Amino acid sequence: MDQPKVTRTVTVANRSGIHLRAALTVFNLMRAFPAKVEIVMDRQRAMADDILQMTTLGAMPGQELILEATGPDAEAALDALALLFAAGFHEEDA
Amino acid sequence: MKFADFISPEAIRAELAADDKEGVIREMVQALLDAGRIEASETESIVKAILNREELGSTGIGRGVAVPHTKHGSVDQLVGTVGVSRAGVDFDSLDGEKVFVLFLLVSPLDRPGDHLRALENISRQLRDDRFCRFLKQSKTAEDIRQLLDEADNNQFGS
Repeated sequence: MDQPKVTRTVTVANRSGIHLRAALTVFNLMRAFPAKVEIVMDRQRAMADDILQMTTLGAMPGQELILEATGPDAEAALDALALLFAAGFHEEDA
Repeated sequence: MKFADFISPEAIRAELAADDKEGVIREMVQALLDAGRIEASETESIVKAILNREELGSTGIGRGVAVPHTKHGSVDQLVGTVGVSRAGVDFDSLDGEKVFVLFLLVSPLDRPGDHLRALENISRQLRDDRFCRFLKQSKTAEDIRQLLDEADNNQFGS
């Protein structure tokens, strides 16, 4: 049986895009959530708990992305991740 | 951005001698200097900037790989190199394992896009097990250069 999927649209708001540090910040955040979260950029998909997959996106500032989550507390996981995106990954030079 | 666009063949090091994190970083920055890609007067500043970046969070992202890097005002285009350590180096990696392959990048201050594109390429190739394996097994700088060339011609990665 398919689990319900929750989605959210976000924009890359920091100055450097999803570079290594940003991917690590996402990775660390996602460790607190049991849901399976994916970041979708056009036809590319990256697991939010896989740093190399995220940095393979090469997502630039201003890029719109779709977050998808399934599993326990999927909504909470996307709430947190969307906030992180909106905060430019908390990078000072955002 | 292909490897050929930012990796200097003369700066590739197939047998890093240092056995610690700072040592290999210094060795690779020295390689960039030897290849004429950075200025001698800026070497120390670049090493310090890379070490500072490591303090924010190790670039040892697991699978025996690290991507030490920094922005620096002294370069006007992205420069990079590759180093392989036979014995492996403790890099405070995410998975707690030693690092055997390092891609070191120095980018201009105001071109985040170039850095991102280089990182995108490096990441894509590193996700291919064959690419990682061949890198670790490389015996000479020329072996590595050829491997990067094959990667640029889409032999690896998805």
